[in-house]
Amino acid sequence: MTIYLISLATTGVVFAIIALGLHVRWGLAGEFDLSLFAIAAIGGYVYAVLALPPAHLPPPATYILGLKLPFLVSLAGAIIVSGLLSAMIGAVALRKLRDDYFGITTVATALILALFIGQYIPLFDGYAGLGGIPQPLANLPGWGANGGYFLGVCVVALIVVYFILERLNVSPFGRALRSVREDDVASQAFGRNAYALKLKAYVLGGCVAGLGGALLAAYLTAFNSYAWTPTETFLLYAAIFVGGTGNIRGAILGTFFVEVVIQEATRYIPAVAGNSNFPDAARLVVIGLLIVAVLWLRPRGLFPEPRARDKGPGSTAEVATTAVPTNGAPHD
Amino acid sequence: MTELLDAVGFGLVAASILAMAAVALSLQMSVARIPNFAHGEIMTAGAYAAYLVSLWNGNILLEGLGAALVGGVVAFIMNATLLEPFAKRKPKLLILFILTIAASLILQNIMLGIFGGASLGYHLAPSPPEQIGPFLLTAQNLVTIGAAFAFMFAVHIVLKYTKFGKAQRAVADSRELARVSGINSDLIVRLTWLMNGVIAGVAGFALAVSVGSITPTMGQGYLLVVFAAVILGGIGKPYGAMAGALVIGLAISVSSVYIPGGYTEAVAFVLMILTLLFRPSGIFSSPRARMQSI
Repeated sequence: MTIYLISLATTGVVFAIIALGLHVRWGLAGEFDLSLFAIAAIGGYVYAVLALPPAHLPPPATYILGLKLPFLVSLAGAIIVSGLLSAMIGAVALRKLRDDYFGITTVATALILALFIGQYIPLFDGYAGLGGIPQPLANLPGWGANGGYFLGVCVVALIVVYFILERLNVSPFGRALRSVREDDVASQAFGRNAYALKLKAYVLGGCVAGLGGALLAAYLTAFNSYAWTPTETFLLYAAIFVGGTGNIRGAILGTFFVEVVIQEATRYIPAVAGNSNFPDAARLVVIGLLIVAVLWLRPRGLFPEPRARDKGPGSTAEVATTAVPTNGAPHD
Repeated sequence: MTELLDAVGFGLVAASILAMAAVALSLQMSVARIPNFAHGEIMTAGAYAAYLVSLWNGNILLEGLGAALVGGVVAFIMNATLLEPFAKRKPKLLILFILTIAASLILQNIMLGIFGGASLGYHLAPSPPEQIGPFLLTAQNLVTIGAAFAFMFAVHIVLKYTKFGKAQRAVADSRELARVSGINSDLIVRLTWLMNGVIAGVAGFALAVSVGSITPTMGQGYLLVVFAAVILGGIGKPYGAMAGALVIGLAISVSSVYIPGGYTEAVAFVLMILTLLFRPSGIFSSPRARMQSI
């Protein structure tokens, strides 16, 4: 029972960190990015090859590096590589594409990455993927073996990311980002460099997703490219729509709802004879319907983004950002 | 050289299937103006429908009819129950795109729930390949190419010479202007979805037969190749989509002669991304159209 609860909590916390990466990209900057889970996966792979010992697999199976670095160093490496890759993708794709074609371009990029990593064995052992990825604190007595201490590590990571993003939210950078999200032309007229702001948000979101992906790889201890289809990114969007686009706490709660509550609630759907995929299929249909229902009934989510306020008399007026990119219906 | 010619021959077959799927998507994107992420699922639904018909009667025409019918119905219902009510609220276009992603998730997993995840083998009666001109093609290949030509011709006739096609072109230019000149725009959009679904369903049938199997994710895997053809030909230009399909179909199969097979799909994606970045109005666009970037 304890192990079960720890695994539920770890899943929720790790996915919440990845979802916060999406919160930066979509919630704050309004970038309809569909490659996020691929960036998280790269974070996972990079963490794995930095933390694993050198490859001793029967050929042709192999992987690069294998440096056996300490946990925190491997984590930092994963964050840096995810950020660099995001910078490369964002620098090109953010240049002049309309929202929907930006989405299509990023999903194509994610598929190219998946194709390459799956086919090119010397990088991360192709479709077979990596196994035996080190999980920190797993060898300590007591709560080590069942992942209790590792859950603590993940919770600390989530709290750190949460406070950084909370600070960012009220910083001039955060305000500038929201202004770009609402109306990039108007924002540029006020002297903002919309492209640079969007690119920064894209890279920051990638770093957060890379951190989440690295923790996911450490938690699962095995990782291959079947685990990250575009569907995973859609699920994170579902989480953010439910929680409320632009609201950090909403993103975290939405993730727990989609990745843990719905997952567990549909676990007990019996498999139909001869179709072991039935519970999975039912879960994804439910999530699809959930996206539609939220966009119809509460386009701003269950926990809408708080309105920015004037800081009282004397302060220069800060534009109230009320509309949210998902704003399908007239506001309430 | 033979290898290259074989690749071109196979490329023509691939391009035929792709042309049907791409023309359907492009037509819908010009009239209803929604980049449809669930287009692949409409194809998959058509493929499963044809498979079910084949269990009862192995007549290729009946199978194609089943695919067309189910594809059309799925597309029509998706528009009527999901997209049209939302579109009435005049949301951002991105919201409609997100809804099609949700629709793709729902449709794909309904099919996963019904048919399971294992791939269903689906073969028509085997026919030996024959030398036709410089190419080596089976009778089934010829039927596919013929069907594609028939659909392209039909789309051309409808768009150019019927009242419905004229109304479609009017709605594509401006829904408002079409409405004030007495065209029932909503009806035209609905019928365009039906037409889109019919062609996409048949394309799904042709794809399943050419691959030899069906899976619930078959259409999604193919979707970006279709988008590549549509974007290459110029978004919302059905004739451009035909040419785009030819380029992409040939590029994929000819590149397989020179690079490992697993990577060939990436060729289509890279072509698509380059087009979006450097020629967003399509590779066949006039200089004037190029000025109005998307």
